[in-house]
Amino acid sequence: MSDAASDVLRKLTIVFTEFEGRLEQTHLIRKLTRGRFELADYQAFLIQLRQQVKDGALWMSRAASNIDEAHLELRSALMRHAVTEHRDFRLLEADFIASGGDATIIRSAEKNVGSEALSAWMFHEASKPNPFGLLGAMWIIEGLGSIKAQEWGRRVKDTLALPDEAVRFLLYHGENDAAHIEEFKDMLAMVLPDDAVAARIVKTAQVTARLYALQIEEILP
Amino acid sequence: MSDLRDGYIVGTGVFLPGEPVGNDAMEDHLGRIAGRDSLFGKKALRWNGVESRHYAMRPDGSVTHTLAQMSAEAVRTALDAAGLERRDLSMLASAATQGDYLVPGHASAVHAELGAGALEVASFQSVCGSSLMAAKSAWLAVRAGEHDVAAACAGEFSSRWFRPSFYEGTALVDAKGRLRAEADFLRFTLSDGAGAIVVEPKPRPGALKINFIDIVSLADRFDPCMWAGAPVETRADMASAWAHVGPRAAHEAGAMALLQDFELLKKVIRAWVGAYLQKVDEGRIVPAEVDHCLVHYSAKSLRAEIVSLLENTAGMVPEEKWFSVLREVGNVGSASIWVMLDRLVRSRRVQPGQKILCVVPESGRALVGFMMLEAV
Repeated sequence: MSDAASDVLRKLTIVFTEFEGRLEQTHLIRKLTRGRFELADYQAFLIQLRQQVKDGALWMSRAASNIDEAHLELRSALMRHAVTEHRDFRLLEADFIASGGDATIIRSAEKNVGSEALSAWMFHEASKPNPFGLLGAMWIIEGLGSIKAQEWGRRVKDTLALPDEAVRFLLYHGENDAAHIEEFKDMLAMVLPDDAVAARIVKTAQVTARLYALQIEEILP
Repeated sequence: MSDLRDGYIVGTGVFLPGEPVGNDAMEDHLGRIAGRDSLFGKKALRWNGVESRHYAMRPDGSVTHTLAQMSAEAVRTALDAAGLERRDLSMLASAATQGDYLVPGHASAVHAELGAGALEVASFQSVCGSSLMAAKSAWLAVRAGEHDVAAACAGEFSSRWFRPSFYEGTALVDAKGRLRAEADFLRFTLSDGAGAIVVEPKPRPGALKINFIDIVSLADRFDPCMWAGAPVETRADMASAWAHVGPRAAHEAGAMALLQDFELLKKVIRAWVGAYLQKVDEGRIVPAEVDHCLVHYSAKSLRAEIVSLLENTAGMVPEEKWFSVLREVGNVGSASIWVMLDRLVRSRRVQPGQKILCVVPESGRALVGFMMLEAV
């Protein structure tokens, strides 16, 4: 692996661990880890998550459409990601309904301040030519999927005594870590070495992490 | 303002009580809760990789050495190794997870055992990381020109906390006499002993210059991960601390035993890795320049994904440079880093100019310390 990729991965790992620490301090996650989570908290969490998961495949598609011919492999990778994930929000809706929620509520709910900011930021970045910085955003969001989702899912299930059908997105959405990093390294190799791109990837990860945390903070201010 | 001086570790010392106790004899030694074999013992031993350890408490509950005695013994040995006398010492910093007393500070008890005339003392109480807090205090005292000979000791007498009477009749044991995992794992992990270093401003052959000691607390993010003094469920609420309900009620609630939350530990390990990579990123730690890596953790129990993450981020010190004595002397908490350093120095593997990186993670409330030494 190149030094340039190692440097970016190191900086991204630091951003992620800082991000995880920030999430741990939010009121919502504190309630979850301290066993004080309530059904209303879980449902509010799913509502915000749905918006962001639905947007995920859309900004990836938009990003793919802005990648030039010199980077066809990366364009293909993003398109594959988008196809894999673009229906995941339906699974979230099903979880919401299985937890006793009403489908119309989750489908018509408004994004909170953090979700609005996160969504706007993603589409803004994806609209630029060759938006390679978004690899940093993927690192954060996929890192959540592979590192945090199952842990949260198990806590939710245990605390609220919910059936598996109400926690499927969190429990089964996370893939294994090793594959996630390998695939990410392949994508980095398509755009590095390039100092400006490397810096943009790290910066995009930092902004995405901050806005994602803001989304969680705003669920239970 | 005078210039700062350099501080050198000129002697190390270790005291381990009694004969080594093997895995087979452990439970006989500590005692069985409600007379039953532990549910988690074998699993804990597989995970921590310890095969032998030392205890300062005999199976009948009598004590061979107090923690103050073990710590003082380690300081004597370290002074001896440095070619110094007790009267040369002018400052003593101590570290421990639990002193012999609740009050006063543990350094006073060590000083009382040591003799050595009037001294400046400083007591540091945390978990494993307290070792580097005490070392930093001694090092800075020498660096600032306040003292010419300063010692830092660290010691644990964990086994006294692992007697059945610490758990029986409390909320930690269920109706079938089974002890909660949060408590049981630690019984098979921690053991007794002490270590010490002596710091001077002048290098001697074989001395180790302290390049830096950095201690990073991440307690703002996490609830207590390894603690004593509060029940498992309510520990994040300081109002649940043992002294608010009194010792008897606290004991019954299971608030007196030493406990660890393993789910939280996984997150804390990631946070340690983040703090370490931050040091690498700043250029404070250059993995390629490290000749000996002493981590108060076994490379064996580092999960494969953490090792691969460190390799992917150019942060891994190759495993052949790791030095550990965990298998043969056990996990002695705050004393572990000095036991490792002492054994490394005495193994004669350290060549002049080589760099030794010491990493002391503390799960207590997510803290990690880094110390870089350079051989003279």
